[in-house]
Amino acid sequence: MKRFILLFLMVFGSAFCTIAIAQQERQVTGKVTAADNGSPIPGASVVAKGTTRGTQTDVDGNYTLTLPANIGTLVFSFVGVTTQEVAVGNRSVVNVTLSNDSRSLDEVVVTGYGSQSKRNLTGNIAKVGAREIENIPVPSVEQALQGKVAGVQITALNGKVGQGLQIKVRGSASLTASSQPLYVVDGIPITSADQSSTTAPTNPIADLNPNDIESLEILKDAASSAIYGSRASNGVVLITTKKGRAGKTTFDAGVQIGASNPTHLRQWLNTQQYVELFQEARANSAALGIPVYSATSLTNRFTRYAAGDAAGWQGANPTYNTDWQQQAFQKAPSQQYDLSARGGDAKTRFFISGQYFDQSGTLIKNRFRRLSGRVNLDHSATDKLTLGVNMNLSHSINDRVSNDNAFSTPLQIVALPPMTPVIDPRTNQLSGDYTLYYNPLLNRDFAAIQARVYRIIGNVYADYKLMPGLSFRTEFGTDLLGQQEEEYYGRETSRNTGAANGLGSNSFRQVTNYTTNNFFSFGRTIAEKHDIDATLGMSYQESRANFNSVTGQQFPSDAYKQLTAAAKITAGTGTESSYSFLSYFARVNYRFNNKYLIGASGRIDGSSRFGTNNRYGFFPAVSAGWILTEESFLKNVQALSLLKIRASYGLTGNAEIGDFSSQALYAATNNTGASAGYAGIPGQAPSQIPNPDLTWEKTLQTDIGLEFGFLDNRFSGELDYYEKNTSGLLLNVNVPGSSGFRTQLRNVGKLQNKGFEFVFNSKNITGAFNWSTSLNIAYNKNVVTDLGGTTITGSFLNRAQEGQPLGVFVGPEYAGVDVQNGDALYYKNTTNADGSIDHTTTNDYNSAAYVPLGNPSPKFIGGITNTFSFAGVDLSVLFNGQFGNYIYNGGGKFQSANGDFFDNQSVDQLDRWRKPGDVTNVPQARLLGGNGTGESSRYLQKGDYVRLRTLTLGYTLPKALLSSIHLNRVRIYVTGQNLLTFTGYTGWDPEVNSDAYVTGARGPINIGVDFYSAPQPRTIIGGLQIGF
Amino acid sequence: MKTYKIFTLVSTLSVGLWLTACNSQLDIKPVNSVATSQALSTAADLNALLVGAYDGLGGVNLYGGSFIRDAELLATVPSTGDVLWTGTFVAPQQIYVKRILVNNDQADATWTNAYRTINICNTVLANLNLALAADKDRIEGEAKFIRGSLYFELVRLYGKTWGDGDNNTNPGVPIVTTPTVVLDASSNVPRSSVAAVYTQALQDLTDAAAKLPVSNGFFATQGASNAQLSRVYLQKADYPNAAKAADAVISSKAYQLVPLANVFDTRQSQNGANTAETIFAIQNTDQDGINDLNTFYGSSDVGGRGDIELTDTFLSQFSAADGRAGLIYTDAVDAIRTVKFINQYGNIQVFRLAEMYLTRAEANFRAGTSVGAAPLADINLIRTRAGAAPLTAAQLTLANILRERRLELAFEGTYIHDLKRTKASVGTLAYNDPKLIFPVPLREVTTNPTLVQNTGY
Repeated sequence: MKRFILLFLMVFGSAFCTIAIAQQERQVTGKVTAADNGSPIPGASVVAKGTTRGTQTDVDGNYTLTLPANIGTLVFSFVGVTTQEVAVGNRSVVNVTLSNDSRSLDEVVVTGYGSQSKRNLTGNIAKVGAREIENIPVPSVEQALQGKVAGVQITALNGKVGQGLQIKVRGSASLTASSQPLYVVDGIPITSADQSSTTAPTNPIADLNPNDIESLEILKDAASSAIYGSRASNGVVLITTKKGRAGKTTFDAGVQIGASNPTHLRQWLNTQQYVELFQEARANSAALGIPVYSATSLTNRFTRYAAGDAAGWQGANPTYNTDWQQQAFQKAPSQQYDLSARGGDAKTRFFISGQYFDQSGTLIKNRFRRLSGRVNLDHSATDKLTLGVNMNLSHSINDRVSNDNAFSTPLQIVALPPMTPVIDPRTNQLSGDYTLYYNPLLNRDFAAIQARVYRIIGNVYADYKLMPGLSFRTEFGTDLLGQQEEEYYGRETSRNTGAANGLGSNSFRQVTNYTTNNFFSFGRTIAEKHDIDATLGMSYQESRANFNSVTGQQFPSDAYKQLTAAAKITAGTGTESSYSFLSYFARVNYRFNNKYLIGASGRIDGSSRFGTNNRYGFFPAVSAGWILTEESFLKNVQALSLLKIRASYGLTGNAEIGDFSSQALYAATNNTGASAGYAGIPGQAPSQIPNPDLTWEKTLQTDIGLEFGFLDNRFSGELDYYEKNTSGLLLNVNVPGSSGFRTQLRNVGKLQNKGFEFVFNSKNITGAFNWSTSLNIAYNKNVVTDLGGTTITGSFLNRAQEGQPLGVFVGPEYAGVDVQNGDALYYKNTTNADGSIDHTTTNDYNSAAYVPLGNPSPKFIGGITNTFSFAGVDLSVLFNGQFGNYIYNGGGKFQSANGDFFDNQSVDQLDRWRKPGDVTNVPQARLLGGNGTGESSRYLQKGDYVRLRTLTLGYTLPKALLSSIHLNRVRIYVTGQNLLTFTGYTGWDPEVNSDAYVTGARGPINIGVDFYSAPQPRTIIGGLQIGF
Repeated sequence: MKTYKIFTLVSTLSVGLWLTACNSQLDIKPVNSVATSQALSTAADLNALLVGAYDGLGGVNLYGGSFIRDAELLATVPSTGDVLWTGTFVAPQQIYVKRILVNNDQADATWTNAYRTINICNTVLANLNLALAADKDRIEGEAKFIRGSLYFELVRLYGKTWGDGDNNTNPGVPIVTTPTVVLDASSNVPRSSVAAVYTQALQDLTDAAAKLPVSNGFFATQGASNAQLSRVYLQKADYPNAAKAADAVISSKAYQLVPLANVFDTRQSQNGANTAETIFAIQNTDQDGINDLNTFYGSSDVGGRGDIELTDTFLSQFSAADGRAGLIYTDAVDAIRTVKFINQYGNIQVFRLAEMYLTRAEANFRAGTSVGAAPLADINLIRTRAGAAPLTAAQLTLANILRERRLELAFEGTYIHDLKRTKASVGTLAYNDPKLIFPVPLREVTTNPTLVQNTGY
């Protein structure tokens, strides 16, 4: 392998030398103007592509540049506008209009290990520019992408701030391994997986300041992503940070201040309704012979819940009627301050920025703060050598709350009976010991969970021009993540922690990532008709993760919170895991006559994660494109500015298979993760059954696309059809428990995603009043085609089942209520002897067959942005939505259980069956009766929604006014996030996937689960931007 | 042109150097877990593996909790019985109300954790050659004690009661006696008959009793094996052998009855300790092990969830002078609780000497023998210790012996099995009602096609 690569490099290298053909230098002049008002742009940078030769436009926007031999492309760039590449051809005058519209068709998009003009792309890459993501009041940049990229589904797990997110590019392509894309920042893959020590995930991408980002490119098809080989199956997100630009130093300052509140609240029973329901439920159960509390016992219980005061719950006007839900939320201010500087000269260019971001969550005790700084420097040491450094330091502090499936999580407070007062009048303290469940307010006052992350993401590079058109670039990047998590639970929380005198835990995680990329880039036009771009190189990445944690109990008082004060150290752990990737990659793009495009790329990935038999994998892709508008038969059709078809086919992989999953292992911990020792004596046990054949998951993807533009690109768009066939899916396959193991990781499954993506941009009205629209819609159909005959069970009703979409809800089908007796009914759905399905109903949950009930993933996702501008006023309105998915409320059997247990019930339970003849969907109330409380489609609902995701109204002060006070730009704006939601879902929020179930091996299957999950915040902020 | 060639060569070489340097970097060894070859090659490794089997046995899904908790919940008539389930965990609630669904988490966890531990024992037994000669018998005995005990518990929970129909055809549980190193078709082990599983358990426990020393720290001993044997024989209604096994424990003089106040560890949040009466107990410390009975029986002020409350029904069974009523108290919110599991880090006694006297008394009484002592003497030994009035000879009935057993051993893991072997009903459910038998876990039935589901599921 090694020798082969070396030989290949040699041959390729010498090929470069032989095709060097001497050509003449020539002079090009032109004018650069702004697209929106036609005014000249002074100080814009004009560079001959692939060289350091460049100039700046003068005060009138004019430039003159001597173009080196063999270079046929100019790169125009300027602060705040989209960089453009323009092919010079035979022209000696090249006039350019630069636009803020990042969807302009000639824009440059970043590709893996290079960049390319969008026009010449043969793959599918979605680009989002800085203006679309800046100053949106969300902590992490992916949230700002919601609704903006076709085929990319972004789901916040719940409304907790600083929480993990799920991103799916063209559907889920994995069952057990991660479904998250690979994140690459300035060429370096960064740590993006959950680093939380609790089961609720955190999001390492939140350590990046979104305002530092120049562009995000999402590589969706095989042609664009196969260069990332075994880690590209879920798509690749390339993040490019802002670079310095030669010119006068400009400063940008920003401030924004606002607040959030929950988008939606649910309705719960008041004391009177509660008492009535449960008295009825008890009587019903007693009448049916269901073993249940006596009436006296129930009365005593109510009085107990009402702080010992019978008047607290009795009568028409009970003393206590607590709206517990309100108690779970807090006032949630947010603020953000930015300052950046950008400038430089022909030799050295810089971008420096700093930001403080502080957003409180709507849930009590939830807050995310980030302080980040960035320095990006580029220095042209000689005509040939450019050096640079990109460095990001950030510190984030996340005040967290327990995961959704914890008594201490704020929203589980809704289970408390309304007759329980917040403050126990007997003690004047928060109600504690006597409440039905643990009171989460005790955690608000006496507990803290804080994660503090220190992050350094940086890289240095050197770029050397070996000859015109050929350069060699070496990059070395690091991503160091240090995370301290401190938890303290005071003695008042002992009912929850089991620790009578306080419990503290302190853990530290360090993830180090080192990457080096070394590659040749080649770009040349030969005989004016042949354009060749090529890349060849290697990459090596090594990552190590260390974790240690100490837990102690018995603190003298709540004043002592550090572990040194713990009289007993009750737990401690220290672990390490590592992996490495060694990769070789190559790509060639060839363009003939500016209209026929072909491309090929490949990557060889070796990894420590793969078994020795399968250590290296090869991931090739091919693609082709045809720009029809360059053909003579279309060239004269004035209305048509672009028509291009393209197709790609290739192989990518998913290597998120765990670091040592193929090996037979013993561990000194048991299957619960606790020590396998016994009373202090060391122990060990087999922990993993080997699978020497284990390898990466493989995805073969076909993409066919059409790009079009009409009327000088006033209307433009893209239509793509794709088919992603994933095989060798890693599955934790259930194995017979009698083997001593529960599961074995195997490459057995197959699944398919296929769908359409449609993007349409239109400039509806141009002139003094501007109105443009940007629309994207994606349809995806996911089906698990092969699971080797098994079914994988996830949380509640989630399953991976052959012939069904991933995570499909499978269970008994709820058939409503027996009109005669109030029994919950289920459709039998069993197969009759003649093969037909028995659609009759039964009140026996166990005799109802498990049937597919709904798909947790949407069929359609999309977004539409309308942008208006007039006389300095700008308005942008983004709606996004998803359709065709179902949500399972895992908390339903507690929240809406017709009085099965003492949890306060949702108001819809008032519609319970009460007497023969009642037609309702809520069964008769039966305390401890389990009447309809089994997991079934009773708690399944459609999750369609449309959300007014972002609305921004801004006003930019006239330039004339500003020049007198030496400012370039002043803009004031208000932004509203999640202002309106249209949905039929009756839970808190249809944008949900409870954080309690998404981690762990079954995480990818657990889609569309609601479990006391907080609604998204509705955030309104006001901001000011000043440029000087 | 020449310079270009040189540069090309230099960069090519530098990349080439990277290739050479990096290739060995792909060999990264796991450090948290270790490869089998590194894990099991010395006598110390084998000892550690055996300790891992105890860790498994003491897990919350086996003797550390569920075996003992569920024997009570399954035997209790909901709301009128001796305990009240007030918790929200679905699996134990289903067990309590006798409406167990096939996907009951506990049925799954108990099954898979038991076989995980059995696999550790099988691995120990297959690698006895690593043991020092002096330790070989002891290690074999310990592994067989654990394995035999688990097969016995499994067959009682997942199979029909001994004697309910034909033991030779009633399905028991799969029997596996060799370690699993690869998974293949032979891993789909079918259920053996109830009789075959009892035979396996008896053989393991008999071997263990023969090979184990009388004293072995807090690990399994000859006494522990005989105690378990007495339970197996009692369950089979083999009274002479039950009496013999119980007597072997008592007459070994390795254990003594202690004053009633000392039988249970009533300290708070202290590392567990055995008493002189303890024959075998799951060891807990504040560092390791979870006393899951504390979790369920203990109120929040002693570190539990308090999901299981005792009832007046239970309290009313004690005579006025019976000191065992003093092992019951009322907590801060007026719930009735037992002190048996009040120490959060306390040990969980699997067998204690008092049970042996009660077993010997019952077995002798039923067999009409007096192995070791007369039944009346044994019963009164226990009653006297509790401060209750001794029974007269006329009062010595089977019902009274069983009642004494219940009062003494309440919540300690024998209840449902005692009801089943005595063919006593649980409320309206007959002793052999399918609702009193766990389902074979849904995941097992769907994974292993050779498994037959129990009636009623």
